[in-house]
Amino acid sequence: MKRLAKKFAIVILFFTAFVFMLINKTDTVIIEKTSSVATDIVSPIMDTLVIPARAVGNLYDYFRELKQIHQDNKRLMEENARLLKIRDNAISLEIENKILTNLLNYVAPPEATFFTARIVAEEEDTFSHSVIVYTGSNNTVRKGQVALGSRGVVGRVDRVGNMYSRIMLLTDINSKVPVVIERTRVRGILSGDNTSVPKMVFTPLSAEINVGDRVVTSGVAGTFPPGLPVGRVISAEKGNIKVEMFSDLASLEYVKIIDYNLIDLEETE
Amino acid sequence: MNESLSEHISLSFQRALPLLTSILLLLISYMPMNVFFLGNLKIAVSIACVYFWLLHRSDLFNLFSVCFLGFFEDILSAAPFGSNMVTLLLCYVLITNLAKFFNAKPFVVIWYGFGALMFVAAFSRWLLVSIYYGQFLPLPSLIFSVLITVAVYPLLSMLNAFIQGAFIQEDA
Repeated sequence: MKRLAKKFAIVILFFTAFVFMLINKTDTVIIEKTSSVATDIVSPIMDTLVIPARAVGNLYDYFRELKQIHQDNKRLMEENARLLKIRDNAISLEIENKILTNLLNYVAPPEATFFTARIVAEEEDTFSHSVIVYTGSNNTVRKGQVALGSRGVVGRVDRVGNMYSRIMLLTDINSKVPVVIERTRVRGILSGDNTSVPKMVFTPLSAEINVGDRVVTSGVAGTFPPGLPVGRVISAEKGNIKVEMFSDLASLEYVKIIDYNLIDLEETE
Repeated sequence: MNESLSEHISLSFQRALPLLTSILLLLISYMPMNVFFLGNLKIAVSIACVYFWLLHRSDLFNLFSVCFLGFFEDILSAAPFGSNMVTLLLCYVLITNLAKFFNAKPFVVIWYGFGALMFVAAFSRWLLVSIYYGQFLPLPSLIFSVLITVAVYPLLSMLNAFIQGAFIQEDA
C-alpha cells in the first residue's frame, strides 16, 4: 500500500513539473511573478556566499595583475598621448555639432540614465544564459532595459524583483535583438542559442558581410537604442553568421543598466 | 523537558542536513566564478547530491527532498521552470530502483554508476528542453558539463560523506 502511494506521488509530481513547464511555455505572468519573488528571497543568500569567494578571487587577481602593471603603464602613457590629440579634435567637433544642431532645429532624444549593478549569480550552460544582479531598492529598473558590460551590450532585464533582477544575456536561446552590420548597414536579428557565439539571422542572402565586421544594435523595434556596440563577426558563411561578443560574458562582475526611456515591455505585454 | 527539546531540535537538524547541504552546494555552484575555462559549463551539483544521499541515507533524503531541490533549482535557473524538477525526479526513480545493486560496492563502481546516471539525466533534460524550445540545444557544452561533473563527483562525495560522518548520527 505504501509503495503504491509512493508511486502515485511520483506520478503526481512528474505531472506537476510538466504542468509548470506548460504554464511557463504559455508565457503567463504567474511563473514570472513567482520566480521574481523567489529570486528576491534566494538572492540575498547568494549575495552573502559571494563575499568570501570574491575576496579570494580578488587576492588572486591582485597578484596576477602585479606582473602586468609595468607593461600596462608604458602602453597607457602612449595611449594617453594619442587620446589627448583625439580629445582636441572631439572638442572642436562638439562645438561644430552644437552650431549645426542649432541651425537644423534638431530635437535630441531623451538622455539616458544608468546605474551599475553587481552580479550575484550566473548561469551559462546548455539550458540558459542569465545573471542575477543586485539592484537595491532602485525602483527605476524595468523589464526590457539594456544591460551593458565594459565593452558593449550584454543583455536586457528579463525579470524584476524588489532588490534583485534577472538579466537575460544576448547568448540565451530566448534572446532576439535587432542588429545591423556597422560597415554595410545590413540588418538582421542577433539570436542566442545558448552557445557563447550567437547567430545573426534574417539577413538578406546577397548581404555583404565579412569576418571582422562590427555589429551594433539597429534600434528597430524600439527596445534597444541604435548604435550600441554588440560584437564582431567571426564566421560569415551564408546562413551561419556567428558573432563574438565584445564583452566577455564569462567574466562579468558588474553591469550597467541603462534606461533610455524607450518601450516599457511590461506595459506592452 | 529542556533536554528532550534540544534533542528533538538536534535530531530535526540532522534529518534536514542532507537537504540543507545540497541546497548550500547548489547555491555555491551558481556563484559567479569568473573562471575562463568554466565559461559555458556548470557542475550538476543537484544530481550528484541526490545520487549520494539516496544511496547512503535514503531515510533522510526522500521524495520530498528531491522534489524540493528540483523546485529550488528551478527558481535559481532561467531554464524552463519545471525542467530541473523533472530531471531530479527521473534520477530519484532510477536511483531508488538500482540502489540495491550499489549496496556495499567499492567506490569505483558507485562512481561508474554516477557516470551512467549523469549521462541519462543530462541527455533526458537536453531532449526535454530541446522539445520545449523546438530546436536542439548545443551538445558540446553539455558533454563537457557531464564529464566535469563526473570528474568532480569524488570531491562532492567526500564533502557529503564528511557531513554525514561528522554531523549525522546513524540512528537519526
